Amino acid sequence: MKSFHRLRQQILPAVLWTARFILGFALLNAFQPAPPRAPLMPPQTVDTTKPQMCVHTRLIDEVDEWKIQRSLMMVREMGADTIAEFFPWAYIESQRGVYNWAQSDRIIRHAANQGLKVIARMGFVPNWARGDQRDVFTTLNTLPPEAYGAFAAFTAAFAARYAGTVDHLIIWNEPNLAFEWGYQQVDPAGYARLLEVVYAPVHRANPNIMILAAGLAPTLEPPGSPHGLNDLLYLDALYQAGAAPYFDGLAVHTYGFTHPPDESPAAERLNFRRVELLRAIMRQHGDDSPIYITETGWNDHPRWVNAVTPAQRVAYTLDAFRYAEREWDDVRKMCVWMFRLPAATFSHPDYFTLVGVDFQPKPIYTALQAYAAGRMTEQTLWLPPP
Amino acid sequence: MNARLQARLIALMVLAPAAAGLVCFLSVWGLVWHLDRHRPISEILPHAALRVGVDPAHPPFAFYLGDALVGLDIDLANALAEALGVPAQFVLLGYDGLYDALKIGQVDLLIAGIAIDPARTGLARYSAPYLNAGLMLISSESGGVSSMHDLPGKRLALEFGSEANAEARRWLRRVLPFTILPYAQPNHALDAVRLGMADAALVDSITARLYLRAHPDWVHRLTPVTVLPIAIASHADHARLGAALDRALESLFRDGTIDRLLDKWL
Repeated sequence: MKSFHRLRQQILPAVLWTARFILGFALLNAFQPAPPRAPLMPPQTVDTTKPQMCVHTRLIDEVDEWKIQRSLMMVREMGADTIAEFFPWAYIESQRGVYNWAQSDRIIRHAANQGLKVIARMGFVPNWARGDQRDVFTTLNTLPPEAYGAFAAFTAAFAARYAGTVDHLIIWNEPNLAFEWGYQQVDPAGYARLLEVVYAPVHRANPNIMILAAGLAPTLEPPGSPHGLNDLLYLDALYQAGAAPYFDGLAVHTYGFTHPPDESPAAERLNFRRVELLRAIMRQHGDDSPIYITETGWNDHPRWVNAVTPAQRVAYTLDAFRYAEREWDDVRKMCVWMFRLPAATFSHPDYFTLVGVDFQPKPIYTALQAYAAGRMTEQTLWLPPP
Repeated sequence: MNARLQARLIALMVLAPAAAGLVCFLSVWGLVWHLDRHRPISEILPHAALRVGVDPAHPPFAFYLGDALVGLDIDLANALAEALGVPAQFVLLGYDGLYDALKIGQVDLLIAGIAIDPARTGLARYSAPYLNAGLMLISSESGGVSSMHDLPGKRLALEFGSEANAEARRWLRRVLPFTILPYAQPNHALDAVRLGMADAALVDSITARLYLRAHPDWVHRLTPVTVLPIAIASHADHARLGAALDRALESLFRDGTIDRLLDKWL
């Protein structure tokens, strides 16, 4: 028994010291440095000669506030006075009636501080609004008609909260793709009904708001395809479904792919000037409301079949802005897809960006900056072949 | 009984069962590991085929030549399927759908020229890389440029606006000045070095390999400077498939198949 007593005398201090060590370690961990802050600057204004210029950002998934601020500063310095940004309903109202505005407040606060306007894209359905999911496959893009009212209420709350900085709302995204319509058959009449339900409450919340019908995906999918529907056919069907009174402008997605910006449009071809075909359909239906190109651009991945070289990308993008300025007076904004990604994808999406993940500006950023400042020269940026 | 003997007895009473338990555990674990390693492929691949997600928009990894789906990834998938004793079945996907298809079990593997993405390791288990698609410095054999430290005072050719351009700008902040010669295409940059108009070129390894195939007589020096590992992804939860894949890939490395496929396409 003596030895037990001695053992206890030796073990007890060791146990106590271990406990102290664990407690100390836990306390030290509790004293982590505060995350870097991003205090607001004195209010800024955008200095630009090209009011059409806009850029699509990806800030909603950005964790660090200083990166949001840095992105928006660089947008201002580039000479774009407007950004397009996605504000997912599922992020903000993940519980019915309980709004978490923290991240959207951050973005809007810094955008306003930099003198930028925001075109907000609304979408992504919270779990509670997707209906009974026991026997039904749903995604974040599944919006049952009985939830249209809840979506309208959220959108109206958003419009009221950010009036002044956000005066343009895009309702949904590319509803002519099955993926964007909850993997259901696309339904122009259903989308027209959604616009109708949203329109009045949002206008009551912010009388200056402009509701933009969603940009359609440029695609040649024929009627009945499980993947989607040709954007020209979809827009025509949208008007036939009576959607015209329920949007104030049309958002358009138009990509150049491998074609130069001045290539003629054609129904069976996807290129930058496809917007002219969409506009023709609007006019056929007596609609002369403005167009907002909320996604456009070229990709310069070295191997993707839909990409061009970085040199072509710079030349095509600048020519596209010149073309739009010269020929399209009803195009209010042209937003380049996209400014920066929060993290690299290690694939072709990285090659749509204007600045790297590390904020290093790509030559296209510098070229757009010079264009917006009106100091573009004819100097060639690259050497002739050896 | 004296105290020392008593302590030894207690220690023996504690340690002996622990040691016996450890031996039992290791034996059972070894047996399970052995059986698992020799598990029939039909249990690992219940569809009796290797369902491979490929992106046919990225030559030379996968693309259409007429109506035929060809490329490095297609050949690699077929070789892996043969090593596993099942046929390969290709599922065509765009980049946006690759990882979703893996997540929902539509495919067993992704062989789509994908780089290892640390952010995806919760979902995907990556194999050993079969290609480094990072940047390379190329100079003539006598040029003597094998790192950024050899560049000050020299001329570096590259493709305007490319990853190489961004990397060279980073180097300019770290070493004494050198001259950047930007060309509209990466092959122009390589031509400049070959023709003596530049001291070195910085291009991605795929461009370099394809260029060197077309100019076999050019005596050059080739140095990898960045790493972009291209690998195969399987579902992180399917550890048995991942292990079988590793063994099959290792055998393809050992017997020279991977080198042959790389030489065929790059």
